[in-house]
Amino acid sequence: MKVTPPNKKLNTGNKNVTGYAFISPFLIGFFSLTIFPILYSLYLSFTDFDMMGTPNWIGLENYTRMFTSDPTFWKSMKVTFFYAGVAVPIRLVFALLVALALNKVVEMVGLYRTLLYLPSVVGGSIAVSIMWRQLFGNDGAFNSILAAIGLPTHSWLGDPGTAIWTLIVLYGWQFGSSMLIFLAGLRNIPKTFYEASSVDGAGPIRQFFIITIPLLTPVILFNTIMQVIQGFMAFTPSFVVTNGGPVNSTLLYVLYMYQRAFEYFDMGYASAMAWVMLVIIAIFTALIFKSSEHWVHYESDTK
Amino acid sequence: MIKKFLIFSLMAVMLASVLAACSGSEEASGEDEEGVTTLRMTWWGSQSRHDQTQEIIKAFEEENPDIKIESEFTGFDGYFEKMAAQASGNNLPDIMQQNFGEYLNQYADKELLADLTPLVEDGTIDVEGVSETIMESGKKDGKLLGIPTGTNALTAFYNKDMVEAAGLDLSDGEWTWEEYEEYATAISEETGEYGARLMEPKNLFEYYLREKGEKLFNEDGTGLGYEDDQLLVDYFERNLALEEKGAVPNYDTIQQIKGVEDELIVRGEAAFDFRWSNQATALDSSAGGKPIGMTLLPGENNDQGMYLKPAMLWSVSESSEHKEEAARFIDFFVNNVKVYEIGGSDRGVPIKEEIREELSADLSETDKKVFEYIEMVTEHSSPIDSNFPPESSEILGELQKIDELVMYGELSAEEGAEQFRSTVERVMAR
Repeated sequence: MKVTPPNKKLNTGNKNVTGYAFISPFLIGFFSLTIFPILYSLYLSFTDFDMMGTPNWIGLENYTRMFTSDPTFWKSMKVTFFYAGVAVPIRLVFALLVALALNKVVEMVGLYRTLLYLPSVVGGSIAVSIMWRQLFGNDGAFNSILAAIGLPTHSWLGDPGTAIWTLIVLYGWQFGSSMLIFLAGLRNIPKTFYEASSVDGAGPIRQFFIITIPLLTPVILFNTIMQVIQGFMAFTPSFVVTNGGPVNSTLLYVLYMYQRAFEYFDMGYASAMAWVMLVIIAIFTALIFKSSEHWVHYESDTK
Repeated sequence: MIKKFLIFSLMAVMLASVLAACSGSEEASGEDEEGVTTLRMTWWGSQSRHDQTQEIIKAFEEENPDIKIESEFTGFDGYFEKMAAQASGNNLPDIMQQNFGEYLNQYADKELLADLTPLVEDGTIDVEGVSETIMESGKKDGKLLGIPTGTNALTAFYNKDMVEAAGLDLSDGEWTWEEYEEYATAISEETGEYGARLMEPKNLFEYYLREKGEKLFNEDGTGLGYEDDQLLVDYFERNLALEEKGAVPNYDTIQQIKGVEDELIVRGEAAFDFRWSNQATALDSSAGGKPIGMTLLPGENNDQGMYLKPAMLWSVSESSEHKEEAARFIDFFVNNVKVYEIGGSDRGVPIKEEIREELSADLSETDKKVFEYIEMVTEHSSPIDSNFPPESSEILGELQKIDELVMYGELSAEEGAEQFRSTVERVMAR
């Protein structure tokens, strides 16, 4: 094969400049609004910055304080792990089931897709969280329904045992984006596989486990990682619906970080918390990737 | 070459516009073309206060056509978070409603507020004749950081009908904590509603200590002011006992309340509610026909426990470029009778005697009640404690959380009191 030599130097310098000029809005934004704040927060995590004064270097003090003498930190960690651990699988399973159902729908699939995706569009917003507060409040719709069918009502948001579950349900309800990705994955599975297997006598359940799931694993991997990250970083629901209460039972990690930063002017400490969360998310993502070798199948591998 | 030049200037323009976007706020509060200064002003409060304040601003703008005020307001929840974010961006509003105690001290500590002393001395803000103790409350480390909007006091609000239904009378304000318990229980048995709202520890534990001759913080604000944890244990146990009898609600009910307008006493679901006197306006306007009385808080020594407090303060931020114009608004607020005709006692009873006298002729029912009550407190009170350390907003937040844990039964009263002390020590030691 004939290899064309790279162009002579002619004009390349100029071209590069033009290129950089055109991407400069992104570059400026990326460096000033992403890279710089990230590095600055790393620096702040080693200081006692209180938002106004000059930051004083205090070494690892924020980190030692976090791990040794801040019970609320551990509480928020526990709440967040529980939340992510329960809510993420619920959302994924729900999204997959709905995607499977939609995959069978022939008529008006666009309408259903839109309707089911809607909660995700508005889901993270304050408005929905406020609605959730109304729904699960003592005089809310949920209790009214329970009362109407003769079941005992409950203070869902007021009871430390149930408040976190209302947030988990809220998270699960916003399954739309995962659902769409699953749906796209399902559409990609060749029909011929199912036809061939049904000739061999496989029923729908068997087909689901031997064809659908294995071929969907790359999509499952992607969704799991995205959702785990989202789960750890959840903020709005606990901020708006319960504000961390009652008795810190819904104090998600990011909410506690926010409280430290903006209620107590404890920016250095909050920055340190942000970095701890970054490390935790990185570890989880790495673990999921590592495990994926054992359960994710790419068609190209199976040849 | 020209092309290169054009490209670089394009980049420069883009960079400049990004930078301008970052510091855009300064322009927003700058001078408009006709020499009109725009000031930003923030406050927290109820809906009735938002409406009133906007009317007050309109009245001010009419008299001062060279100043335009842009207002931002929220409820109390979230207000100081929003301010903290603005403070970190060096973008505090020109005029801000500030709170006495933990917040003022926190802001003073960070040198975020302008010293108003020169503006008072040159007469921009006229506080002639305002009592020294009231002005003192806006001072910290010798600087005048806020002008009180009015005077305030803790109040035992009560539903007269419910109290009468139980055959009780408490207009003289002489009642002990034991009587409070008896009354709350009797009323809840009589009416089937709550006898009292669950007390909010942030204000009421401090009152409880003062009434017992103790202080929340020590003289120099480096630790707790009381030695005996039994005091906090008593406070918790009193609430627990009442909750057990059904005379006060637990937090699951309290957390559903969306604001002053939605309080149990407003809905006729509780007979007593201990809160600040300036909230009478909001309570009365939402309570419909329910007659709400005001009296001193319980305790054998309530003379010693009760105190007058600046309802809130007007402060000017250190970063403001229009301190003088901001001061002119504060002057208007303090000295113009229109302000109180519009706002009543919602930001406290006017600090100037002339204004109080001018108003007294045609006060609304609520304001008359509040004025009388403040007079009663003036005779039965001791000076306010201003030794709150900058960490106190965190400490009071912890007290609130521990109170919740105790009321939900996750900590015993003793454990709660101990945990509060150790938390305070930990926070103060940082």
